[in-house]
Amino acid sequence: MHPTTSRRDFLDFCGNSLTGTALASLLLRDKIATADSVPGAAMGVPHLPAKARRVIHLCLFGGVSQIDSFDYKPELAAFHGKSLQSEERPATFFNQIGLIRKNDWEFKQRGNSGLWISDLFPHLAEVADELTVIRSMVADSANHTPATFEENSGFRLNGFPVMGSWISYGLGCETDNLPGYVVLPDARGLPAGGSINWSNGFLPAQHQGVTFQTKGPIIHDLFPSRSVTSEHETASRNLLSHLNRSHLHAAGTDDSMSARMKSYELAAKMQLAVPMVSELNQETAATRNMYGLNNEDTTDFGSRCLLSRRLLEQGVRFVQLYSGGSFGSPRINWDGHEDMKRNHSREALRLDQPVAALLKDLRQRGMLDDTLVLCTTEFGRTPFTQSGAENIGAGRDHNMYGFSIWMAGAGLKHGISYGSTDDIGWKTVEKPVHWHDYHATVLHLLGIDHERLTYYHNGIQRRLTNVHGEVVHEILA
Amino acid sequence: MRQFFSVQHLCLLVTVLSSAITVADESSVKYFDRHVAPLLAQRCLSCHSGDEAKGRLNLTTQKTALRGGESGATIHPGMLNESLLWQYVESDEMPPKKPLSAPEKNILKNWITNGAVWGTEIIDPFRFSTDERAGTDWWSLQPLKPSVPPTSPNSGWGKNPIDAFVDARRSVAGLHPAPEADRRTLIRRLSFDLLGLPPTPAMINEFLEDTSDSAYEHLTDRLLNSAHYGERWARHWLDIVRFGESNGFEYDQPRDNAWHYRNWVINALNDDMPYTEFVQLQLAGDVLFPNDRQAAAATGFLVAGPHNTTLPANDNMRMTMQQEELEELAGIVGQTFLGLTVNCARCHDHKFDPISQKEYYQFAATLTGVTHGERNLKVKLSPEQLLRTQKITERSAAIRAQVEAIERPVIETIIRERNHGTAPTTLPPTPYAAWNFDGNFNDTSGDLHATASGNAKIEDGCLVVNGNNQYAATTPINIALHEKTLEAWVKLDSLSQRGGGVISIQKMDGTVFDAIVFGEREPQRWMAGSNSFVRTQSFQATEESAAAERFVQIAIVYQADGTIIGYRDGQPYGQAYRPGNLQSYEAGTSQIIFGMRHSPAGGNRMLAGRIQRARLYNKALSAAEVQGSAAAADINYVSRSQLLAQLTPAQRSTLEQLNIETKALETELAAINASQTVSMYACVSTKPGITRLLLRGDVANATEELSPGGLSALAGGSPNFGLERDSADADRRTKLANWITHEDNPLFTRVIVNRLWHYHFGHGLVKTPSDFGFNGGLPSHPELLDWLAQYLKANDYRLKPLHRIIVTSATYRQASRFNAQAAAIDASNQFLWRKSPVRMEAEELRDAILVATNQLDETVGGIGYRDVRHYNFKGSNFYESITEPADKKLRRTIYRFSPRGGSNPFLNTFDCPDPSATTPDRASTTTPLQALSLMNNDLIFDMSDKFAERVKRSAGDNASQQIKLVYEIAYGRPASDGEIKVSTDFVEQHGLPSFCRVILNSNEFLYVR
Repeated sequence: MHPTTSRRDFLDFCGNSLTGTALASLLLRDKIATADSVPGAAMGVPHLPAKARRVIHLCLFGGVSQIDSFDYKPELAAFHGKSLQSEERPATFFNQIGLIRKNDWEFKQRGNSGLWISDLFPHLAEVADELTVIRSMVADSANHTPATFEENSGFRLNGFPVMGSWISYGLGCETDNLPGYVVLPDARGLPAGGSINWSNGFLPAQHQGVTFQTKGPIIHDLFPSRSVTSEHETASRNLLSHLNRSHLHAAGTDDSMSARMKSYELAAKMQLAVPMVSELNQETAATRNMYGLNNEDTTDFGSRCLLSRRLLEQGVRFVQLYSGGSFGSPRINWDGHEDMKRNHSREALRLDQPVAALLKDLRQRGMLDDTLVLCTTEFGRTPFTQSGAENIGAGRDHNMYGFSIWMAGAGLKHGISYGSTDDIGWKTVEKPVHWHDYHATVLHLLGIDHERLTYYHNGIQRRLTNVHGEVVHEILA
Repeated sequence: MRQFFSVQHLCLLVTVLSSAITVADESSVKYFDRHVAPLLAQRCLSCHSGDEAKGRLNLTTQKTALRGGESGATIHPGMLNESLLWQYVESDEMPPKKPLSAPEKNILKNWITNGAVWGTEIIDPFRFSTDERAGTDWWSLQPLKPSVPPTSPNSGWGKNPIDAFVDARRSVAGLHPAPEADRRTLIRRLSFDLLGLPPTPAMINEFLEDTSDSAYEHLTDRLLNSAHYGERWARHWLDIVRFGESNGFEYDQPRDNAWHYRNWVINALNDDMPYTEFVQLQLAGDVLFPNDRQAAAATGFLVAGPHNTTLPANDNMRMTMQQEELEELAGIVGQTFLGLTVNCARCHDHKFDPISQKEYYQFAATLTGVTHGERNLKVKLSPEQLLRTQKITERSAAIRAQVEAIERPVIETIIRERNHGTAPTTLPPTPYAAWNFDGNFNDTSGDLHATASGNAKIEDGCLVVNGNNQYAATTPINIALHEKTLEAWVKLDSLSQRGGGVISIQKMDGTVFDAIVFGEREPQRWMAGSNSFVRTQSFQATEESAAAERFVQIAIVYQADGTIIGYRDGQPYGQAYRPGNLQSYEAGTSQIIFGMRHSPAGGNRMLAGRIQRARLYNKALSAAEVQGSAAAADINYVSRSQLLAQLTPAQRSTLEQLNIETKALETELAAINASQTVSMYACVSTKPGITRLLLRGDVANATEELSPGGLSALAGGSPNFGLERDSADADRRTKLANWITHEDNPLFTRVIVNRLWHYHFGHGLVKTPSDFGFNGGLPSHPELLDWLAQYLKANDYRLKPLHRIIVTSATYRQASRFNAQAAAIDASNQFLWRKSPVRMEAEELRDAILVATNQLDETVGGIGYRDVRHYNFKGSNFYESITEPADKKLRRTIYRFSPRGGSNPFLNTFDCPDPSATTPDRASTTTPLQALSLMNNDLIFDMSDKFAERVKRSAGDNASQQIKLVYEIAYGRPASDGEIKVSTDFVEQHGLPSFCRVILNSNEFLYVR
């Protein structure tokens, strides 16, 4: 239905269909997103000096094992094959508590910082000195979707705005040519729940995540669904503009009608900016190869990492990349119930090199100084296997009591780890960080007091952090 | 809006001041109750009350107040300077944020000096509103006040009492009314407002030609009587109740039969059902009128929200999920009908409104019997249908006898010859129930009959299921089942399928089950499926290779000690194992299903294949018995081709004829049966458990048991429902419905009249339609609000009279033209100095485009349409947006199937809300993505073509005639000469469809003034 059009066509189309004025301001980082058009500004945002201006969020779907990646537990090997010595029946998903299994990947100290990272992420290990690892995360659900909702929105139910929407709402976008919050789903499929995962909830519609698609038009309705000559399009826009001006004259001044007229100019700019930013061939071969675009295993995640960088360069506020699609068998995400080695090896391979390249690239371009990179997973995995009580199985179940995430970039202490779990990496025992604390910290780095970024919805000035959240000051530079 | 608060607060303060001056008897109990208690409540108790009082000082009772807190005794009666309370207050250390005024201090001083006599034993911290929270004296909780319209300051202005209220308030603000809008503007405004559709040129002409004084009133009546009124206003209601047609969360299963509720709302509004009844049916229709289809459909309200069907095995996790969904439901009930955020009191007393945590649990307890599910309601067959059913049954029996007479002797001959003349010797064990699928779904050894779902069929003596939505299920099993055996002969459509169930015993809601499952955890292997795999382990058997070619017998034996043994074709299948204890099923709680692992239907639970025979044994068969069963079946089995080979051509031809006739009869019978059953997604009433107060909302912290009840802060019916803790669901919801709709409940009427006002004017008299508590807005016109509420009651709670009086007011008929002077005083137009123009909502926009292009299918009701491609991927459901067909008329947008995970990008961009979030007040944004959608969407191009075709048909080839008609249709007005000229140039150069596309994008089309 949608004709695919080459980049040249796009340029012809856009170039000819824009008015001279709009063309002149094209791709310039103009300042139309003025303070008074950003809702957050009315709430005094920034409340604090902002360290970061933009965010990339890598969302690892399914539950990444902390004890096989970032949470080194030297004593785990000693517990291998033993049963969990606990009075408590752990709340896992399948309730099958097998014997403890040691980590399947060896750990080493990396970089100058000596941060412990396992062989699951050899490339990421090379940039260990950029990472800020939190090893004491806790979640409130060991069920994927509520846990993912909590990770993204602070609530375990459908219908709440996600962090990308909140940040778009608070800070607006630095460009009018692109959406403020862009979502790049895994090529293997959408996460379970589809667009629920990037819902603006009760926030106004412009703060919803806009997916960039790999098939068809990059974003919905970016170009006419039929072929239209540029001359024709110019004439149509001119007539529209004429009609609207006359109407405004007859109806009297009205901000919203004037804004609608303006929105057609912005739309035209978006038609040029979106294909340009998505044109990865503009990058050098070296860069493309660094991101792994020359390799089948890494090309999906690599392309999306590279696109993320380009989107941020153009002023997009929040880019979210998904690693992993929906649940069920055979697995296409990190949900290693059956066979951790096979599952995590495959998933890590897809993103390890691209993410390391992203961090290196952002650093070498100076962007990491004011960009925040977040890499999270909805929960971790159990140190005991999911199997009969007397077996060491090959898979691990969901673990909400303690798991690891990492951040990198602006305003953080680099090459450190924060908090800890118990001897077997099961439960957080020191400096627990709840999702609310994590959200508060991210907002803080963006110059936002999480208690003051609010939106009234049904009786409550709603916040991303509900009524909780403490900034984790210890990890801040 | 806060400015009203300060006025009100000032009044309270004045009361305190004046009373301080007129102290009569300073040592009396009365003095305490009138002066001291309100002061403590307003200025001290937000911190110093309850179990978590600051500094452990609780000032609500005499005992705790005198005892003091961490710093020791607080009050020494008669000794002012020794009293800590006085020291803190006098030095302005307390209250910390805003010290007491001198008169307030005086009250305390007098009180302590005169012996600190206590009055009523406990001061209710909810009794008085403070700077920080609402008390039971909060404005919205008070009874409706008798309200008389004031005399209008602009004498002569106004058409009904509404105008007098508005005019009085507006004059105080120094504002003047706008003149009445012209007639074309009025009809366009009214038509969009009441019907959500533009007026047709014919309607416009009729209105313009009606020169009578009451032309506008007549127009109003015509529109209110249109069936499209219900469609328009049902959309508003569905926003509030967050109506969505899939479960949300991980699986996001579609709710194919949720649309009954949508249609019920449309019909109820069109019938002008009294609002009391409208609400009662939504809360308790199924229990008030047990056999009524419409009443059942109304309860779709209770299950309109998201529902998580991904159930963890862990009990606490499941209970937490239940509590979260219950909170969401209690919140919707409270906000929708009462404008109270009851849900905010789940973990602690409400921070802003006078609702205690205990009351939250009592309120929530009224809803704990509500369960999501599909209801199959029986409708009586007509006498003709009954007669026909009887005839079909008789004829079918005759055909079966005739077939049997032909086939039986031949089959017996074949078997006898196969066994060298002897009769079969192996006797199979006796099953509890057996299904041979021999033309029907009946149990041939008992009465555990099955019925088909999703058009599962019987073909050649097999149950055929498609792996998508087809299965068969029995009635509940009347005996308790402990040890047991499941057995089936099955042939698979493919060996690559994963997770389908052949035969399963499950609890009726599908949460607990044991099943013969193929390929779920290990490809191409059979397994003993169970809920959350709790009784599932690998049999460690070899790959299945034959089941796609021929029928194989699979049996799973569940022994009393929990051991599970698999068999295939009579031989042990891999290793037996013991995962734990045996799962028992109590009598009447479980059923057998075929072709599905467990309910609900969908996902990878569905089998694609044929089931030839199935057996349920209420004992664990021995290896010999399973073998015997397999052998007996084998020996007695005669394939269709063997049989056909032995028949004469005449016999074959007869059988073929009979077969054709049977199929026709079956189809007819199925149609009759289908008309007898209506499936709808609605509230399934279940036995509620006992509700306990959960400390901090935590399921691990359950404390006292509570009875279902209402909220004490509300005037109206008693919050004590007189129900036992274990009362039935029907009693709970009936009491709740009566309590909410009680004639003296002031919120019930205030909230709905404000909603109506909100939709007519773009903002309510209270700007937060679902929150009349402390955090909500205060009414801009409180007397008008109460007058409207009383008007609703006086009109038998019917909404149409209320619409009528609002839209026929002079206030509503004002022109929308901007006025800079007025805007400088009141930019948001809350005092109504004009009618604010509004951009069409997403649904209105699509509908208006369809009307302009003559592509609207005006059917009211029915199933609706889908603009998504639904597919299941790894157990989750996805809804991909697809282009709507251009070659047929399209339904109104309210009939769109609305899955939560599958929003329509076009509608979404225009602020169509997320169906998971209640939206009592839609945003109206303006974004470049809207411009892109409206310029580039398929629908716009298709509809521009249709628009042009339509215009050409009526106006011919003359460009200026065409343009005139486009203006008439799209804008409801004639085009000026200048407009015709500019447009003619464009049409001649670029064609009429392109012109139509521009018109559909223009502000004049998109805005209603």
